[in-house]
Amino acid sequence: MQIPIGYQEVIETPKASRTTEALWSFRAGQAGTSVVLPDGRCDLILRASAAKPDEYIPIVTGPATFPYSVHFEKGDVWYGLRMRPERGVAVWGSQLLQARDHVARGSDAEALIPVLGETSCDGGPMDQLKRTLPKNSAADSSKLTHAIDVIHSTGGRVRVENLSCIVGCSPRHLNRLFCGNVGVRVKSYIQLAQFHRTLRLICSGGITLSQAAYEGGYADHAHMTRAFQAFGGFSPSAIPENLHLPGVFHTHV
Amino acid sequence: MKLGYTIIYVADVPRSIAFYEAAFGLQRKFIHESNLYGELDTGETTLAFAGIEAAEMNGLSVLPNTPKGPAAAWEVCLVTDDVRTAFDRAVAKGCTPVNAPSDKPWGQTVSYVRDLDGCLVEIATPVGGSS
Repeated sequence: MQIPIGYQEVIETPKASRTTEALWSFRAGQAGTSVVLPDGRCDLILRASAAKPDEYIPIVTGPATFPYSVHFEKGDVWYGLRMRPERGVAVWGSQLLQARDHVARGSDAEALIPVLGETSCDGGPMDQLKRTLPKNSAADSSKLTHAIDVIHSTGGRVRVENLSCIVGCSPRHLNRLFCGNVGVRVKSYIQLAQFHRTLRLICSGGITLSQAAYEGGYADHAHMTRAFQAFGGFSPSAIPENLHLPGVFHTHV
Repeated sequence: MKLGYTIIYVADVPRSIAFYEAAFGLQRKFIHESNLYGELDTGETTLAFAGIEAAEMNGLSVLPNTPKGPAAAWEVCLVTDDVRTAFDRAVAKGCTPVNAPSDKPWGQTVSYVRDLDGCLVEIATPVGGSS
């Protein structure tokens, strides 16, 4: 890819959105249902309904590996903070491995992140979410961040053994880093990245399903279909319209 | 059709441009303000660098180069009449030597180094004539 001199648009890369905590908000223009695809990251969410616009319900999601549906009415509002993949442990602490595909609501969410329960917060829900940001990131592992970058640059087309060689640790240690910080196994994270890249190839790459399966690194069409059923709940030939791809509507902190 | 660019995906575009200037005596043409892309002044066929994240942004799947393992199975070849001087400078500026200059039966002098990311760079005299 070339970028000519003078091209002015601010270029935001996937890596940039992965290496910061990202604030996002969403107001439903009409009632409906959206499928939220798993991306192995945790969200802190404040949700209010149109009927009770000042009453925010705190929600904390664990690292997701399955899709889930969100139902909403016209006027429902969400404010969210999507954590970097490495920050799962900052949200869930010792409960991280049980948190996978788990959602804590109300008092359970407040118990995890007490700031979410403060009812009268100056500056509104966005400021309240900002104040939940963990202050100390010293525990972050550079090997883990390097591994996450390689997984995304290869589009999940890398084996755990090869990945651990690249970052310089054993496969066992790498898996411990993922389980202990992200909250999912390294292999699951790789499969999620492969799914998202292949989904994008199908949605906007202008190639056939078989070609996408091949470029995505799946052994065959059936292999790709199984992955799509597992992570998206749909088949590659029937991608729903109401997908919320992770990171679609975020703004930076 | 003609070859317009060779583009190497790297972790740090300005660093790679500076490295190629120092190690191989090439000049930069420009680095884009995003630091995601930069070109060297290499004549009609441009040698350029793009950020690894630009590959991901375009939906590509690439394995980042690394000096730790074997090089990717392709190379950049730079041509000069004084291979020894160029080889010594490259190594002095941080390239890893692979093969010191040696003469081939067809009259060419050939050497190999690896750059900061482990990419293979051949430094050689032109085949059958001066550069």
